[in-house]
Amino acid sequence: MSIAWVVFRKELRETLRDRRTLMVMVAIPILLYPVLLIATEQFALMGIRRIESEASEVAVTGPASDDLMEFLAADQDLELLDVPYPVEAIRSEIVGAVAVFGPVAEEGGTQRATVLYDAADERSQRARTVLARALRSWDDTLLARRITERGLPPGFADPLAVADSSVARPEELGGYTLGRFLPMLLILMTLLGTFYPAIDLAAGEKERGTLEPLLTTPVPPRQIVVGKFMAVALIGVVAAALNLASMLLTFQTGLFQLGGSLDIEFALPWGSVLLIFGTLIPLAVLFASLFLGIALRSRSFKEAQTALTPVYLLVMVPALLPVFPGIGFTVALAAVPVAGLGIFFRELMAGSPALVPSMVAVATTGLWAWAALAFASASFGREDVLFGVGDAHVETGGGFRERLRRLLGPVSDTPSAAQAIGFVAAVAVLFFYMGFPLQAGWGERGLLLSEWLLLLLPAFLFVGVAGFDFGETFSFRRPEGRKVLGSVLLIAGGMPLGWFLAWAQGFVLPIPWDMLEGLEELITAESASRLLWLLALLALTPAICEEVVFRGVLLAGIRGRASAVRVAAFNGLVFGAFHISFESAFRFLPTAWLGFLLAWAVLATRSIWVGILMHFLNNGSIVLMASVPALRAWLEDGGEAPPWVLLAPALLAVAMGVKLLGGASDDSKMMGDAADSN
Amino acid sequence: MIEFQNLTKTYGPLRAVDGLSLRVERGEVYALLGPNGAGKTTALRCLATLQAPTSGTALVGDADVREQPLVVRARIGFLAASMGLYERLTPVELLEYFGRLHHMEGPALEGRVAELTHMFGITPFASQRCGTLSTGQAQRVSVARALVHDPPALILDEPTMGLDVLSGEVIYRFIEAERDRGKAILFSTHQMAEVELLADRVGVLSGGRLVAEGTPASLIERTGERNLARAFLALVQGDDGSEGEGEDISPEEPA
Ligand SMILES: Nc1ncnc2c1ncn2[C@@H]1O[C@H](COP(=O)(O)OP(=O)(O)OP(=O)(O)O)[C@@H](O)[C@H]1O
Ligand SMILES: [Mg+2]
Repeated sequence: MSIAWVVFRKELRETLRDRRTLMVMVAIPILLYPVLLIATEQFALMGIRRIESEASEVAVTGPASDDLMEFLAADQDLELLDVPYPVEAIRSEIVGAVAVFGPVAEEGGTQRATVLYDAADERSQRARTVLARALRSWDDTLLARRITERGLPPGFADPLAVADSSVARPEELGGYTLGRFLPMLLILMTLLGTFYPAIDLAAGEKERGTLEPLLTTPVPPRQIVVGKFMAVALIGVVAAALNLASMLLTFQTGLFQLGGSLDIEFALPWGSVLLIFGTLIPLAVLFASLFLGIALRSRSFKEAQTALTPVYLLVMVPALLPVFPGIGFTVALAAVPVAGLGIFFRELMAGSPALVPSMVAVATTGLWAWAALAFASASFGREDVLFGVGDAHVETGGGFRERLRRLLGPVSDTPSAAQAIGFVAAVAVLFFYMGFPLQAGWGERGLLLSEWLLLLLPAFLFVGVAGFDFGETFSFRRPEGRKVLGSVLLIAGGMPLGWFLAWAQGFVLPIPWDMLEGLEELITAESASRLLWLLALLALTPAICEEVVFRGVLLAGIRGRASAVRVAAFNGLVFGAFHISFESAFRFLPTAWLGFLLAWAVLATRSIWVGILMHFLNNGSIVLMASVPALRAWLEDGGEAPPWVLLAPALLAVAMGVKLLGGASDDSKMMGDAADSN
Repeated sequence: MIEFQNLTKTYGPLRAVDGLSLRVERGEVYALLGPNGAGKTTALRCLATLQAPTSGTALVGDADVREQPLVVRARIGFLAASMGLYERLTPVELLEYFGRLHHMEGPALEGRVAELTHMFGITPFASQRCGTLSTGQAQRVSVARALVHDPPALILDEPTMGLDVLSGEVIYRFIEAERDRGKAILFSTHQMAEVELLADRVGVLSGGRLVAEGTPASLIERTGERNLARAFLALVQGDDGSEGEGEDISPEEPA
């Protein structure tokens, strides 16, 4: 029996007994796709249910014709009520919308009608839409009547009829939507499938001291490594296959298509399935050799994780590429490792991909896999990679491993500044390309999803995959009561100051008030349940998700590299920059200020809970204020200076907050720094 | 059977092993003594082909560690101080794996594994995963692992580290049995009692150099001390008190 085969079987057996590998390999694929589908479906259902819910209550006042009243009464979507005072009826939610008719027009003239509604109430908005639709169709009826009365042809008032029709077939539509996400998932899951086994089989062997006995057996190291490589590659292929199978089972068989409500028909011909699976094999080989080649050079599990994480993140970028809009299937892109294959999968799922780039993508993947294999086996052959690394002593002199280590930064419990900033940059890109479309498509739910999926989840994945310490990186620490009080004071005073800041900034950077109205509409609650939802959406969610990214990962990376003031200021600047989009540059300064205060408090307490509390208080009080009519008036009166009386108490609160936070604490050195520069 | 020929291993400026020469014959037990950091592990690792000597060499039989590492490995059973077992394999699976790596298979392998599990009292936990074994149980599996191919030379780096009296006894009986079967056994230790009980000859390493060699009785006699522990102290302190190695010695129980 060949030694490589012996090693392969043993590694496989051992890996299959590892709960973590099994999780990644089996549990995740089995759960991921059904959950994805059910979630998508639920969101879609919610939207549909809302639109198709009970008829809207409306009323008509003024001289409306009996014909019209009959027409409206016949409309299933409307419930016609009688109300004496239209505006009050809408305010008190008796009806959603009221059509107020003007004087009856003379023969051939125009009668005017106004639809009253409440723009701040979703039900009212819906009622208005339905009522307006009915009135428009009545308008069409009247027009048609006039035209026939005058003996004109029916098309007289409609010289040009324009209609659009999509040429996409249903399966193309479904494939297109899914095709953007699924290739990325497939590639990432293959990647994840090889990640832990590679570390475990290479660095894990050194760490547990099993490498030495292994290397005193009379077999060439290369044989051992070939066996290990085959095991990792096979695990990657199996993970890929399970993912593909679960994906097909979920989306293709309709097994999970509960209501059939989703307009996704996802049909992947068997030829394409085989093609995808076939190309996932070289991809698994590529990842396996890349990871194993690097992991072999690491001394311990932790070191391997730290060395592999940047590679992992680097591979994620091309894997994400097919998701981005406007990425075509060009020959040049097809040759990019991982990305080419991702786009190929995307095209395959959406229909028939262009032949030449497809061939390029498949061929280059094979080529890349071969190159990675060569790289890996080059390091396998070098005995110094295997020998002498296993012992606990530190070899003097800097080999390749040492240089690599220095390149990647020290092995530590928390990310380095570069790693943390790189992570935030990656999250920002992710948010930009996926968060905004999510919000545009799914509104408030999209916003909720984007915070949890695009901020919180990546942060936990980043820390988990890189092997950083969760407690240290995220500052999960119980704060002292006194400091909690200090941070509450800090935010209580900081908020009015932020308001002044925004107002002052308004002189330089005009605030787009029309846009703000939309924002205000979003944050204004009319009922108690709506208020709760808004608090969850706009206060609690960002308080958790954004804190974990900015006062968790980012702050962990930069704290201690400069004085506390500088660190907090930098943190605030990045936080502010993250909130800039094309139209909302004005948010930069107030948000950066908020970020500064939050970072300050978290630095002083080393507790992210304080940041979460302050963030919640800040956002929550804005939501509350917008819901109180008297306070709302202020917000509506844009451009007016905030009440100056607030200035003194605000400053006082901030000063007291800083004092409480900075008193005799165990971090006195750091806070001492801060106090000096203040 | 085992021979060091002027072997030197340096780490940068440090001479971890400095011109070591010694021989261990068939049917002989040789104990390597020395304070922490004396170079025992380094010397044994060079012999086990885990590290390349800087100069000089070591032989097992007629095979040179530099020229025929695979032949050397086939002839030695090496027990590293940091014993490592595959946590998710059972002792039996582990022994079979190493047997196969030594090109054994079929009934011969099965028979040998059965013999070893019996010899080291592994049977009660033979189907338990190695990750769940106690230190002593794990050490016994490690020793069995080093012997699976029944090598003519045994190299054991602190074989009784962390063992209770009973488990230590198992190892002693086994070392004696193997000597009687004509094996050459080279082991390092800090236990003087162990040396007096087992060793035919003793070598004392200090600062990488062999400062004394002989039977336990001859060392005691030469230093004029009461027992081996005192003789050892005299030898290493007398040799390189200048290097400050003396205070590294943990107090030994007098034998
Ligand atoms: N890989 C290495 N890199 C640098 N120095 C090393 C390395 N391995 C060992 N050394 C040094 O070589 C010297 C001898 O170490 P060795 O492990 O051989 O001692 P030892 O006699 O086995 O000690 P102990 O009784 O503590 O096990 C020590 O000073 C040690 O620090
Ligand atoms: Mg040692």
